Amino acid sequence: MRPVKQLIVGITFMLGLLLIGSPVMAGELQQQLTTESVIETIMKRGKVKVGMATFVPWAMRNKAGDLIGFEIDVATKLAADLGVEIEFVPTAWSGIIPALIAGNFDVIIGGMSVTPKRNLTINFSRPYAHSGMGIVANKKLAGDLAWPDGYNSSKVTFTCRRGATSCTDTQELFPKAKLRQFDDSSLVLQEVVNGNAHAVLTSFPKPTLWQGQNPDVLFNPTLEKLTEGDESFGMRKGDPDALNVFSNWIMVNTSNGWLDKTWKYWFTTMDWSDQVDLKK
Amino acid sequence: MRTSKYSIRIRSAHLIDVAVISAVIGFVVYVAYRVDTVLVYNWYWGFIPDYVLRWDEEIGRYAPNLLLKGLFTTFRLAVWSLLLASLIGVIMGVMRTSKRLFPRMISRLYVEFVRNMPPVVFLFIFYFFISSQLIPILGIDEISVRASPTTLAVLEIAFGPPELLSNVISGIICLAIFEAAYITEIVRAGIQSIDRGQIEAGQSIGLSHFQVLRWIVLPQAVQRMVPPLAGQFITLIKDSSLVSLISIQELTFLAQEVAYSTQYVFEIWIFVAVMYFCICYSLAWLFGRVEKRLSVYRG
Repeated sequence: MRPVKQLIVGITFMLGLLLIGSPVMAGELQQQLTTESVIETIMKRGKVKVGMATFVPWAMRNKAGDLIGFEIDVATKLAADLGVEIEFVPTAWSGIIPALIAGNFDVIIGGMSVTPKRNLTINFSRPYAHSGMGIVANKKLAGDLAWPDGYNSSKVTFTCRRGATSCTDTQELFPKAKLRQFDDSSLVLQEVVNGNAHAVLTSFPKPTLWQGQNPDVLFNPTLEKLTEGDESFGMRKGDPDALNVFSNWIMVNTSNGWLDKTWKYWFTTMDWSDQVDLKK
Repeated sequence: MRTSKYSIRIRSAHLIDVAVISAVIGFVVYVAYRVDTVLVYNWYWGFIPDYVLRWDEEIGRYAPNLLLKGLFTTFRLAVWSLLLASLIGVIMGVMRTSKRLFPRMISRLYVEFVRNMPPVVFLFIFYFFISSQLIPILGIDEISVRASPTTLAVLEIAFGPPELLSNVISGIICLAIFEAAYITEIVRAGIQSIDRGQIEAGQSIGLSHFQVLRWIVLPQAVQRMVPPLAGQFITLIKDSSLVSLISIQELTFLAQEVAYSTQYVFEIWIFVAVMYFCICYSLAWLFGRVEKRLSVYRG
């Protein structure tokens, strides 16, 4: 046979194989669900792969370039409790859900708030943290605005990190205001500092942290929590075992107070600040 | 003044040259001055050396920190995807000039598919739909578990830390497939620039198709391909920053991590820009030398 012919026959044959596929018998389904669970993969591998993104103080790089933060503590304890090693997979936030679905890691522990829309694509555990959204604004631009009604105007510009819940929160709280989205959380702040945008919503403790770094330029119109979020582990759909294991790990560590204690350390104190080269 | 054949007479500067140069300098100074007034920013460069090289207390010597690690990964990405892209590009380029329809169709399809898509879109589609299935099939994760210490050491030098192996390899595959489409076109142009008479002459003295390619067409074509290839290789290095979007841990991605953590955004980006410039410029210089050497053999 000529090589071209061979190739065409080969491709047709492979396509045929794909079409036939393999039907699943009902009785085997339960067995299959268990063996295909990500928990089984983690135990077999002896390592849990956690997808996360850098976001102060959830996860950040210390002076040695290693990861530290609330999330890092949570994932490390989870791995220790399961008796496996841990591997962090730093991932760009805007692509973190596709990366989970593509199987780059087993679970997202990335301070991800549960939203109904996200929940259509992935499953969420019960929440392990409750962040609050706060506001920080430019003194020169927004100093005279009345809180909160003055901010709901078409003359006011907010910034947010693309794909973050702060974007939808801003739209809900200040529907008339303009919204500028960035991929980079540091640019979100810089726009406000530069005076190109009036204010930005971000999760605590950043509103106070950022204000402290730029005391002459920024101020907090209020220190109240504007919205409250529920942060959960994210995992692929169709995996009841994983959902059960992760949710119950969170339940146990909520009851014994470990999560609350760790949360307070990272979010209400700045004891960790000397580990990071944080901007003064 | 690349070759001695062409020489340019050096003239004294005209009035208009002086005017243009001073206008450019004036503009640069004005922009630099404006940056300081428009941008409310406290510049601080002192932390950068630590993120390149840092004194490690535990092992008692200097160890590369994030930025240098990222640079190494970018190097590895560039070198391997360059080799892979050249291989694919030469094969596809030769197919593109084939007399038979089927190979020509395949390579044409490939080139048009890749070239007519924005790089970022291609990266996302290729990474999530194809590369994420290819990597498990290759069993890369198991290699890093099962391999002997010697293999691991070799792998570490070639591809970086074993836990990032599949990450780096998917970056290499994505970049290579993308860049190879452009190399294909360069190879095709190189081959087609060879006079048909030479090929026919080769065939008439009984050389096979491969022999004609190996001894007549490619030696001359390669020489003509060097300048556009140099440009393409430099583009490849710059494009390697795009794979930070699919979370390949190279220079741009790690720089972003440092910027997020420290919030010294502009210092990091400017420093990284200088790093990229140094790599690309030295490559351009190197290719300039190669071109000069090759031109010696030109008849």
